[in-house]
Amino acid sequence: MRRKSKALASLVAASLVIAACGGDDDDDATPAEEPATEEPADDAEEPADDMEEPADDMEEPADDMEEPADDMEEPADDMSDEPATDVVTDFGVDAENMVIRVGLNADLTGPFASLVVDIVEAQKVYWEVFNEAGGYRGWTVEPVVIDSGYATDKGIQNYQEFAQESEEGVLMITENTGSPITSAIALDAADDNMLTIPLSWASLWPDPEYGSAILEKQATYCIESINGVEWLKDLVESEGGEATLAIIGRPGEYGEDGSAGAKIAAEELGIPIVYDGTGAVAGDDRTAVISELVNSEATIVWNTLTPGELLDIFGNAVSQGFTGYWSGNSPSFSYPVHMPSDFADQFSQYYFQSYYQAPWATPGIPEMDRLVAEMTARRPDLNISDAYTTGWIEGMMAETLFRTAIDQGDLTRENIVAISQDPSFSVDFGGLSANQSWPQDYNEALVRSTWIYDVDASQYNLIPMSEVTADNPGSSGLIPIEQDYVGTVAGSYQFDGPCIEPSS
Amino acid sequence: MSIATALLANAGTTFIQTLVKALALGSVYILIALGFVIIFKGTQVLNFAAGAISMAGAIFLAIMVGDGGLPFLPFDNPLAPSLDDPDLVLWLINLVIVLFIAALFGLVIERIAIRPMVGQPLFAMAVITLGIEVAIRPFNLDATAIQARTLNVPWGADAWELWGAQIPKSYVAAMIIATIAGAVVILFYRSRLGVAMRAVAFDQEAAMAQGINVGRVFAIAWGLGAALAALGAIVYGMAPFPPGGQVSQEIHPILALRVLPVIVLGGLDSASGAVYGGLIIASAEVFAGEYLSQWNSTLGSGYSTIVPYVVMLIVLLVKPYGLFGTAEVRRV
Amino acid sequence: MFGRPLLRTSYEQDAAMLPTAFQKGALAAFMLAVVLMGLGNSVFTWLPSSLLGPTWINPVTNLLPLAIAALGFNILVGVTGQVSIGHSFFMGVGAYTAVALGGTGDGVKACVPFHDELGLLDQTGQCGLDFPMWIWLPAAGIMAALVGIFVSPAAVKVRGLYLAIVTLGLVFIGLHLGRMLPEYAGDFESGRRWPSLDIKIWREETPLVQMTEDGKWFGLIHLSEEQKQFFFLLALLVVFTILAKNIIRSRTGRALAAIRDRDIAAEVMGVPEFKYKRIGFALSSFYAGIGGALWASYLGRASPVDWNLFLAVDFIAILLIGGVGTIVGTLLGTVFVELIPDVVETFTEWLAEQTEAAPPLGWIANLLLTEGEGDFGPISLASTAPGWPMSVFQWNFVIYGVLIVIFLIFEPLGLYGIWIKIRNYWKRWPFSY
Repeated sequence: MRRKSKALASLVAASLVIAACGGDDDDDATPAEEPATEEPADDAEEPADDMEEPADDMEEPADDMEEPADDMEEPADDMSDEPATDVVTDFGVDAENMVIRVGLNADLTGPFASLVVDIVEAQKVYWEVFNEAGGYRGWTVEPVVIDSGYATDKGIQNYQEFAQESEEGVLMITENTGSPITSAIALDAADDNMLTIPLSWASLWPDPEYGSAILEKQATYCIESINGVEWLKDLVESEGGEATLAIIGRPGEYGEDGSAGAKIAAEELGIPIVYDGTGAVAGDDRTAVISELVNSEATIVWNTLTPGELLDIFGNAVSQGFTGYWSGNSPSFSYPVHMPSDFADQFSQYYFQSYYQAPWATPGIPEMDRLVAEMTARRPDLNISDAYTTGWIEGMMAETLFRTAIDQGDLTRENIVAISQDPSFSVDFGGLSANQSWPQDYNEALVRSTWIYDVDASQYNLIPMSEVTADNPGSSGLIPIEQDYVGTVAGSYQFDGPCIEPSS
Repeated sequence: MSIATALLANAGTTFIQTLVKALALGSVYILIALGFVIIFKGTQVLNFAAGAISMAGAIFLAIMVGDGGLPFLPFDNPLAPSLDDPDLVLWLINLVIVLFIAALFGLVIERIAIRPMVGQPLFAMAVITLGIEVAIRPFNLDATAIQARTLNVPWGADAWELWGAQIPKSYVAAMIIATIAGAVVILFYRSRLGVAMRAVAFDQEAAMAQGINVGRVFAIAWGLGAALAALGAIVYGMAPFPPGGQVSQEIHPILALRVLPVIVLGGLDSASGAVYGGLIIASAEVFAGEYLSQWNSTLGSGYSTIVPYVVMLIVLLVKPYGLFGTAEVRRV
Repeated sequence: MFGRPLLRTSYEQDAAMLPTAFQKGALAAFMLAVVLMGLGNSVFTWLPSSLLGPTWINPVTNLLPLAIAALGFNILVGVTGQVSIGHSFFMGVGAYTAVALGGTGDGVKACVPFHDELGLLDQTGQCGLDFPMWIWLPAAGIMAALVGIFVSPAAVKVRGLYLAIVTLGLVFIGLHLGRMLPEYAGDFESGRRWPSLDIKIWREETPLVQMTEDGKWFGLIHLSEEQKQFFFLLALLVVFTILAKNIIRSRTGRALAAIRDRDIAAEVMGVPEFKYKRIGFALSSFYAGIGGALWASYLGRASPVDWNLFLAVDFIAILLIGGVGTIVGTLLGTVFVELIPDVVETFTEWLAEQTEAAPPLGWIANLLLTEGEGDFGPISLASTAPGWPMSVFQWNFVIYGVLIVIFLIFEPLGLYGIWIKIRNYWKRWPFSY
């Protein structure tokens, strides 16, 4: 007990040091470069490196946006401490108090609550850290969270509240839960210049059909499937087996996008599809799918489901003697659901999780150390979670946008969208996920790397963050095997557009 | 020749597995349907709150045997079976305690919301339970939102093998529990109290005039009904039933709604109807799910979930008060 | 002129739409207030803004199509006495008729069910014929009414709670149809886009009346997009309210009420039971179809899962809380039920600012709210943590359920009943009876 509290105290101390450093490092082009090490020597060097980078970032937009050049050059030397008061604003910004409002249209009570709650909390912590370090040039960020319960009509109402053209609105939506609500608001968002980061990885969003205001992060479900199937095929063949594929998915954009990717991989790699259950999992009775799957005797299963559906289908198939390897799009597997289940051992044996980013406390990633330190210090009552990374990443994207906008002296919604469309705009996630930029071309814009984790129930150790120590950081039981894995197919495949037809 | 034999054997295996599954699902339906029927027979209320009550019961058990806590109390459960190797007897003791808690829950609801409504139209009484359902549901969803609620059943997802077919132990347990519960209900109806309940169901005022304590009958009907509903949800929470050994946020809330066709088919006030209805509906659902699966794309995926409603509609158009229900005597 | 109040000397007077001068005056004043509110007159927006937040016009516009559907539900349940938990199914029927006729799609062939299996098109198409609103809106109502007529024989065979469960079955069958027929329903989760509320003569580029852009209406008055939709839907609601009132006070309405009060007695008196139950279902479904079509079009997008059991339960709550069988009650109930969540959210926000206030208020605020560790209030302000304390969004559902229970126990006539009590109190004042 004493050891625990001692370690906690040191962690708190560490986070305080980091927070303090953050204050000095305000001129970073991206927060990712902030050091998480406790050695001050690094800190001292850091600003010297950074000085050039913001300058680079500054000049490019200056050309593209036709910003007045004198505005740019003057502060290039030391703009960090100088509050940026001379900034054009329109909606969702309190110019007087220099507060930027961002919206989170989140599912806090619906089917994805367990995941989204963690993501939202992480993003809130991200802004707390940002604000306590003084924000950026005097500007701070206030997150506004509204619950959608995953209901489309409530989600649309929330959007309208965010989009109102006054101080009560928000500058951008830093999280919009779910494909249905994202497709419902996409065109309005384009009309209102409301940049929106979707909490959905559908391959649809870069398509012009959905307007220009959706800023998708990380790989798509489709690419995730392509990578996952290829990785499983290599695994099966390395064990001397022959790869045959079964695809199981729910109906709807998420399920069909994931299944479409699996089909692309199968076609490119010549894997026979022995059962195609695209869109077959609907309703509470999955008898049909389970028996078709078991009879197919596939060696690889790719699923695009909800955690509950996966638990049922996987459990029944395995207890009927099915022995193929499983993986699926990331929302299918949820460690709080599957790790304590009766099938935990079977999941450890047959299941591999696919994801886009680093799980909780992955060693060797400085930004992850910062995340762990801040979350542990500020939310000691909450459990550790892999989903915090997602909220953190959303925060990093928005912060990078705001820094650029403040330097340009233009915090209007229009400018935020313009920055996001600028080819030079990119975000460095500091190793949490693959760095990303958003060129206009569909194929260039895609992130093609995903992470593959091993599921290991014996490592599963879901603890409150107050119990986190350096020796015992807790674990979701997901152990990264491949970081930023790009398969041969995903690496080179040329897409004509989204993997599924956009629904009109 | 051998291929044909293999196919035949395979078909036999599939048939046995499907049959067992149908009987197991039927057992769950019977448990919850008996809960509906007892409450309806005793108090003339169609209990739409059964979904929330039953799910709450399953959550109570998950708290006691999965987390080792006690519902509503910040104490550890002294009788919690070990997580790795749960002891059957301890687990059953916990189950019985939970059934008592669920019954208590039913009593409280009856006292607060149903008693003041005595004598009101049937629809008003049914809708009041709908209100209760809506009010309790957020607590249930809240309890399952973050954390998986594992029922930690002693036999887990193990199965016996019978002529090549997998017979999950949970399915057998479901059948045994439903049989016991059915026997208890029959014995109860034959007891003094049960006769009183039947008298109340027949005519509340006349029963009162005979010295029957109608209030007590109401309370017992709700207590028993709530306990049976909770038992149904708990049994359904055993793997390999669809929730996979946990209280499911997606499936458990609508489980009781899926039982409505059963009680309509059997008749709202018929206990034997609940048994036949449960078996018929579950068989239709499971066999359709297994043997029509090749037409999945035409029938629409998940078609088996609406089979109960279709069966119900057809039966009702022929027999408007279900197979075993009492026809309403229509007077001017 | 100065006769005895409420003395009626003819059937016309008894059946009049607004029997008293007070009602006429009150209605006129109310409509004026609503119009001023919609126009954004500062005095009248103050009230809704402080209750519902500054974007009050969105939730209020959202409830207008639902009010139309609720009027239909009242005709079936309140007037005809046929218990239904399937109103959302009929709304869905109307909405999908609207989108099939008015939406954008891949031509007539795509509208054939199972065209995939039949091989009519190379790939799955979507049904949408791009007709203007004056075609799709009435068609939505008529199609729903036809389905209602098709279902109505069940109401003659099956009674009471059995009928309620049958209609509940319709909701689930409807959900499944939405999954089976993506050519109409679109994606199962995210659905498809609905035609806008623009009024067009045919398929012209610039509509006769533009609804989805800010701008001038008829060259007269500058309105925002939200205001335009608000006024348009309000006008439709007024039309359908008058229609409903007329139905109820006509021969048909009296026959429906006779069926409700005792179907056998009605039949003995020469009111054909089957015919009028069919009419009740048809009228109710017609309203549901119109309401569903308008609601989906206002939202701009809907998915099959939107026409679910919760929506159907909403209508039951509307009727019970408002007052069964009365039009004023139905409208009051819709406003009440649909706006509770927004009111509660605004109230909580307001309460959160009062924690430092003077003792009674600040004390209550602290008691109810949990801001951080160590607080024991039931409402969590963190809003992001399931588990106790619960967020205001979860409490909204609890409040909703509890209100249904409370109204049923203490005020079976609903808000309308409360109004009657207040009115009678003042009428008799200073006497107690």
